[in-house]
Amino acid sequence: MRRLSVAIVLSLAFTLTAWALRVGDPAPDFTGKDSQGQTLKLSEYRGKYVVLEWTNNGCPFTKKHYSSGNMQRLQKEWTGKGVVWLTILSSAPGAQGYMTAGEENAYMAREHAAPTAAILDPSGAIGHEFEAKTTPDMVVIDPSGKVIYSGAIDNRPTTDPDDVKGATNYVSAALTESMAGEAVAVSYTRPYGCSVKYEGAE
Amino acid sequence: MAEVISPAQMHIRRYPFWTLLALLVAGWCGAPAPAQESISAPHVTVRLVVPPAQIYPGENFPAGLDFKMESGWHVYWTNAGDSGEPPAIDWKLPRGITAGAMQFPAPKRLPLGPLMDFGYEDEVVFPVPLQVAADFQPKGAQTSIGGHVTWLVCREVCIPGKADLSVTRAALASAPAAPDVDAAAQALIAKFQLHEPKELPAGDSAQFQSSAKAFTLDINTGTRQSSAQFFPLDETVVANAAPQPATALPNGVELALAKDENIQGVPKTLNGVVELADGTAYVVHATPEAPGAPGAQAALAKAPVMDTLRAAGLALFGGILLNLMPCVFPVLFIKGLALVQSSQRERRELRAHGWMYTFGILVSFWAVVGVLLVLRAAGRQLGWGFQFQSPIFLALMAMLLFFLGLALAGQFEIGLSLTSAGGALAQQNGYTGSFFTGVLAMVVATPCTAPLMGAAVGYALAHSTLVSFVVFTALGLGLALPYLALAYFPGWAKLLPKPGAWMEVLKQAVAVPIFGTVIWLVWVFAQLAGTNALIGLLAAFLLLAIAGWALGRWPGERPATATAVLVVLVAIVAVVGAVRHLGTSPSAAADSSQQAASGWEPFTPALLAQYRAQGRAVFVDFTASWCLSCQVNERVILDSAAVKQHLKDSGVALVRADWTNQDADITKALAGLGRSGVPTYAIYPADPSAQPQVLPEVLTKGIVIDALQSLQSHPQPSAHLSRPTP
Repeated sequence: MRRLSVAIVLSLAFTLTAWALRVGDPAPDFTGKDSQGQTLKLSEYRGKYVVLEWTNNGCPFTKKHYSSGNMQRLQKEWTGKGVVWLTILSSAPGAQGYMTAGEENAYMAREHAAPTAAILDPSGAIGHEFEAKTTPDMVVIDPSGKVIYSGAIDNRPTTDPDDVKGATNYVSAALTESMAGEAVAVSYTRPYGCSVKYEGAE
Repeated sequence: MAEVISPAQMHIRRYPFWTLLALLVAGWCGAPAPAQESISAPHVTVRLVVPPAQIYPGENFPAGLDFKMESGWHVYWTNAGDSGEPPAIDWKLPRGITAGAMQFPAPKRLPLGPLMDFGYEDEVVFPVPLQVAADFQPKGAQTSIGGHVTWLVCREVCIPGKADLSVTRAALASAPAAPDVDAAAQALIAKFQLHEPKELPAGDSAQFQSSAKAFTLDINTGTRQSSAQFFPLDETVVANAAPQPATALPNGVELALAKDENIQGVPKTLNGVVELADGTAYVVHATPEAPGAPGAQAALAKAPVMDTLRAAGLALFGGILLNLMPCVFPVLFIKGLALVQSSQRERRELRAHGWMYTFGILVSFWAVVGVLLVLRAAGRQLGWGFQFQSPIFLALMAMLLFFLGLALAGQFEIGLSLTSAGGALAQQNGYTGSFFTGVLAMVVATPCTAPLMGAAVGYALAHSTLVSFVVFTALGLGLALPYLALAYFPGWAKLLPKPGAWMEVLKQAVAVPIFGTVIWLVWVFAQLAGTNALIGLLAAFLLLAIAGWALGRWPGERPATATAVLVVLVAIVAVVGAVRHLGTSPSAAADSSQQAASGWEPFTPALLAQYRAQGRAVFVDFTASWCLSCQVNERVILDSAAVKQHLKDSGVALVRADWTNQDADITKALAGLGRSGVPTYAIYPADPSAQPQVLPEVLTKGIVIDALQSLQSHPQPSAHLSRPTP
């Protein structure tokens, strides 16, 4: 009976692995439409560092990083160094964080956000592929297509903008270490934030 | 971000000058800032609960942080799960008062699509231990206790909140003679302190093994647990949303926990909160199990197929034996009678009848198992024999058998296949009649769950659906086998005497055990529904006798038959009405006074635990008034002089668990012993880690005395002979 339960869990875990995200494995390819109407594929950025940022403009944790200017600063800093920064909106239509292309462009202009592109994923397909749990949830992919970091943006899981200063930013750390040819010290943390508002969630 | 603005800040914005003046005056007089003990935030009310009215040196008490949420909104556990953050408080305390860590009651699982969070809905109070130092010096008549509270309350969206809460209390230089405490506040905190997970008791253990993608966590609590839930305390170790299949073990339970797919290495300990099926929660720090260690956990290493076959074999044997029980024997007797009469018929027909009878039994067994499994899945705690806890069912059974008895006694004729009673269908000759005779046999057999059957039934109900069906099928086959054998080997029927005048006498004689069963059913009915409802039942018997007379006086005539049917219906209505309006549940007072005189105390889980904590072993007699074998065991064995003396000498506590009415605590205790019916006799040793000894259903004086003596040979820690205070 015990072996049966373990077998069940293993088989479940196995199926889960089919679309699970493991740090060190190649990132699953995806095709998405951005807020400018362009179709993008992850594989076309092979050879560059890619950062995926899950966002929800109504979530207080996301607001902490946008109202303090932290996210915009990161986007400018790293896109300036040749990193492709993709903001991804996986909220279902009608749920908090869902925006049409026009609304997202207006939001980015207002907030002075500077990602390479903002990908609209209302079906949640890309979110499920990467098992994005919260907003913000960050994934860093190296030029060979391997995931080198997945998890929280920094080590202060609060909604207070004052906590941005002095926090250890895991995304910057991963990019800095990898660009210097070192192994990433912290490659996986529990992401903090509001749950991603997938289609079909309560 | 929804920041909460306190009324004070609102005030300042509107009346700056006057506020400044007020503040200056307040500052001069040294009056403390207005205390705000609770705050109404969006979707949640947060309150600081400090029960004592006075603060004095050396005082220790739990304060509480009370969150009352709107329906559907939740706050989080210390490990919030896949999303969310727990509330926190940053204390602002006067010198000499210190606060311990915020305590988290056992959480609930909060699923959100593919994610899983852990937290609380409706209301939760987080107890916080506060200590006042012995050298506490009050500065003024009052002191203020408070802090800065932050929280996150979510439903589909999340609203963070923060507030400064504080309360003022009288400050004393020394402890007062009679401290004043808000009892309601104290009770509220105590209620949630009960929900805090406890440390695993000394005798229990938790161990885990690690495989490629999962942990198997073995929790040993000394009793069998049917299921459990694990809430991890470490964040990136276990996959929060994965299902946790549980396997019941003789000593506890085993959980299969999927690992977080990005887990780094194998943890030294697996830390978390385990919530058992009965709601108790423990904090566990599971250590890795040495590979190949034979623990009690390895008890299920036996191939499960062998176990099922053995249980099925026992069930088959038990079913055959059931034919001898007073519940079933009359029906088989009658069936055999019909067989004697029809031994002139063709072989094939006989066999077909036999199979229809078997089929009737099996179908009704499956139907009952199906219903039991559905109810088990629905979380109700029912055991085998439950239908005999309903007075109306008992009354209808008694009326049915009474009517049948009248027919057998000769008041009227039902026909050759007089075994089928209880409806026009069952009264038919032929295959349908045989089918419903089988159904009747099963229905009447249910309360007689001893001997041999108890373990098989308990085993089946604790295991998977497939196993339950296999065991119950074996049981049904056993019950049907004697009749089936007769049908297949009518040669054996030839051993039965040839039809003759003696048959009429035999038929009338069979009425005797039938009426005997009726007397027993009436006795149980009176226990359950009271003597006033008995009037209704006896009046119904009178009506049945009248109906029977009509059928006998004018056999076969339509108007007479119709009248008889009408009268029977009136009888049924009368009984149901009598139970509803005149029925009383068995008076607990009469029972307990009777029990106190006999030296047996009524069972509660707390009583059992108390005696064991005192160092006394406990003999628990699980019984019910409708259980014949229970009554026999009690009167013949347990109440015998020799056994009574031994029980008294051994100093064992005597507890009787009366399961006549559905009792959830007793059902749970039975399940813990691997049983689902009565009688069950268990001796719980004083040592809580020792296994309770379960005695066989058929007691002899020797069995009881031997069990008591083997208890003496195991040293009991400090046996007290006094009753625990209630």
